[in-house]
Amino acid sequence: MTNHDIELMAHLMRRAGFGATRDEIERYAAQGYDATVDMLMDTSQSDGIQIDLIRRYHPDHSGGLGMAGFGAFWLHRMINSQTPLVEKVALFWHGVFATGYAKLAQGKVLMDQIQMFRDHGFGDLRTLLVELSRDPSMIIWLDNNDNHNGAINENYGRELLELFSMGVGNYTEDDVKEASRAFTGWTVGNTEYMKLKADNDSLWPYGRLNLHFEFRDYDHDQGEITFLGHTGTFNGEDIVDIICDQQATARFIARHMYSFFVADEPPVPSWPYTPPRDAEALDIMSEAYFNGGCTIKPMLDTMFRSDFFKSESVWYEKVKSPAELVAGVLRLTGEHRSYSPAIQEDANAMGLMGQTLVNPPSVEGWHWGDEWIDTGNLVERINFASEHFSKDFTAGIADTVDADITARGGSVQPHELVDTCLDHMGAIRITETSRKSLIEHVARDGDVKLNGGGSGRSRIAEMVQLIGATPEFQKG
Amino acid sequence: MTTATKTTSLEYIKTIGITNNGDNGRGFANPYSIAVSKDGRIYVISRCDPARATAIRVGVQDIDENFLFEFSEGYGSGPGQFVLPVAMAFDSQERLFITDEFNHRVVVYSSEGKFLDQWGEHGSKPGELNGPAGIAIDSNDNVYIADQHSHAISKFTADGRFLLRFGREEDSTPEHNLCQPWGLCTDADDNVLVADWRHNAVKRFSPDGKHLQTLGGLSDTLFNRPSGVALDSEGFVYVTDWGNERLQVFTPSGAHYATERGRATLSKWAEDFFKSNPDEVEVRKISNLTPELPPHLADDPYQVSAQTEPYFWGPVAVTVDDHDRVYVVESNRHRFQIYKRP
Repeated sequence: MTNHDIELMAHLMRRAGFGATRDEIERYAAQGYDATVDMLMDTSQSDGIQIDLIRRYHPDHSGGLGMAGFGAFWLHRMINSQTPLVEKVALFWHGVFATGYAKLAQGKVLMDQIQMFRDHGFGDLRTLLVELSRDPSMIIWLDNNDNHNGAINENYGRELLELFSMGVGNYTEDDVKEASRAFTGWTVGNTEYMKLKADNDSLWPYGRLNLHFEFRDYDHDQGEITFLGHTGTFNGEDIVDIICDQQATARFIARHMYSFFVADEPPVPSWPYTPPRDAEALDIMSEAYFNGGCTIKPMLDTMFRSDFFKSESVWYEKVKSPAELVAGVLRLTGEHRSYSPAIQEDANAMGLMGQTLVNPPSVEGWHWGDEWIDTGNLVERINFASEHFSKDFTAGIADTVDADITARGGSVQPHELVDTCLDHMGAIRITETSRKSLIEHVARDGDVKLNGGGSGRSRIAEMVQLIGATPEFQKG
Repeated sequence: MTTATKTTSLEYIKTIGITNNGDNGRGFANPYSIAVSKDGRIYVISRCDPARATAIRVGVQDIDENFLFEFSEGYGSGPGQFVLPVAMAFDSQERLFITDEFNHRVVVYSSEGKFLDQWGEHGSKPGELNGPAGIAIDSNDNVYIADQHSHAISKFTADGRFLLRFGREEDSTPEHNLCQPWGLCTDADDNVLVADWRHNAVKRFSPDGKHLQTLGGLSDTLFNRPSGVALDSEGFVYVTDWGNERLQVFTPSGAHYATERGRATLSKWAEDFFKSNPDEVEVRKISNLTPELPPHLADDPYQVSAQTEPYFWGPVAVTVDDHDRVYVVESNRHRFQIYKRP
């Protein structure tokens, strides 16, 4: 296999997963690119996550009293899942259908929503949007519990069109109102008590009570509705059907997908005024959507196999989100392969970098791209990578670099140390300027010798730390 | 597997508890075990989780729901401290032994909450501890520990001298070995009952480790990850069937006697909470706390318990006191329910 094969596979694993070690990349490259895409897309495989063990050891992952435990639980899955694309797709939809703890005051109902993304995130968009509309956390988050026959609350109907499916400019204000009418009566059981508990952040007397969807026929508007040119006595499912058939929906989802998996796009509010980076790519993905019966999986499959995804022009054109960065670092260091209370601290680090899972800043979600690396966040990101790469792990990245150099006689020149570390950290390609700076840094202390004392090992750790701070590592 | 005879209901007595995610006071934060002293004081350990680690402690109350006192040396690995405490048991001297599956040790407190001792070395060799979970102390003050990651039961003297280990795959037949055991208790003959968690079974062993009896197993559906086991004075067996979110009861011969899903009512502490939060009282009155759930939730006991307040949710341990009162500890509901055989 060529070096390009290795680098392309590394690119795929950064985007369709949370990165991979050199050994993993070689293994995947050996089986071939298309076979690896097949493997990643195979959602029938077990993710290998032992839920019973997690629930036994981490009571808050079981009870979902707050959101902190859930963040740690999801991080554990990102690090250890044998189906990383499933976690990546769940993270993708979490960004699109951003739902926040701040208004729900309950972790478990959000855990359930993320599980729904795992279950339906690859399937037909209709099912996904209907499940989203029935999702108890979404109902509370966007006030559909206050959307009544004769007294509509437009919040969910509006965001369904504006942020979740079609985008501004593709519907009218009347469409928002009519869609909202169709979702009247879609609420949660014990609405008043559940809403009050959420408002009061009440965990008394016996913890949180989970929420479930309830359709109240008596509160549903049975009148005639006109939506996007269609007229009938519509329920929410009918509205979703109409939405899924729209060209605007296909392109909106495609642009989200491109921005998450291929290259950063500007935040959603600017999309009506800013052309997409690659309109042709959106055309290709939209076609896959319709050819697949309005289904997500063909879009993903087409995207990962496309020239626009494989092109070197989009490599390192995405700033890793905090979740991607933290999970990626921990996969490389080999930490948290089994349960450990310490994972909570690493999950909390995502929050310090600006992304507390299941608690986005608003329904718009996080603004991805360069906004992840403002001055404060960048320091947190570099410190996190540096701290974890500096540890002397038994199964981590420093160990594999050490083994590689030892196999070559235990002594390497500065440029060999730099290249070996870049290779083992996931076949990272950095600019020649950056590489030259790293080599010069190593050269100050001469060749690296592993068999002459303890300094060689620490120089590996130092180099791994420095690479963790490069723009290429912070991107993906 | 035994044949069911007749199913009987237990008598529900009361519920004690309330969520407490603060650092002190009555209530619990993910309680994991109960031990009852000879004078009837009820000791409950709040395991907490890393996000609320400062709340880790043992709370002591009585059957009338009077909060008495609490103790702990705090969260950590220092003397007497806990990270992931699992189970508790009193010895004949009323010393309270507490396992910690993270610190791989047993910590001993007096019944008044004074830290006395700790022992245990981390490892997988005989005499070492590798994730100690359940604990039981027999009539001679021998201490049995479910050494979960070694998939075995280890027997020690009260001061931590190693005596025996059994249940490991290489030591016993496939039907008799253990996989990540959790709860333990001893019977009147000092035999040891084990909640064989990953084997979905409860097994009884003689004091020298010979297998005597099995309830359940991977080949049937009697249990799903049983967490705790206890016996009453007549030898009836109580099992917290954790994965099924229920309590199961068996006769001394192993016949099924009763299944209990949970019937929690408001504790006195809960009633006190509602006295000062009347707004929540009003909406509770119009709520159904045993709701009919959509099909995708109704078939999953975990999901049903998550939104059915009276049901057990996270039943991690069961204890029987000298009056044959049965205490079921619910980690996710921060309380325990008390029952009795009629």
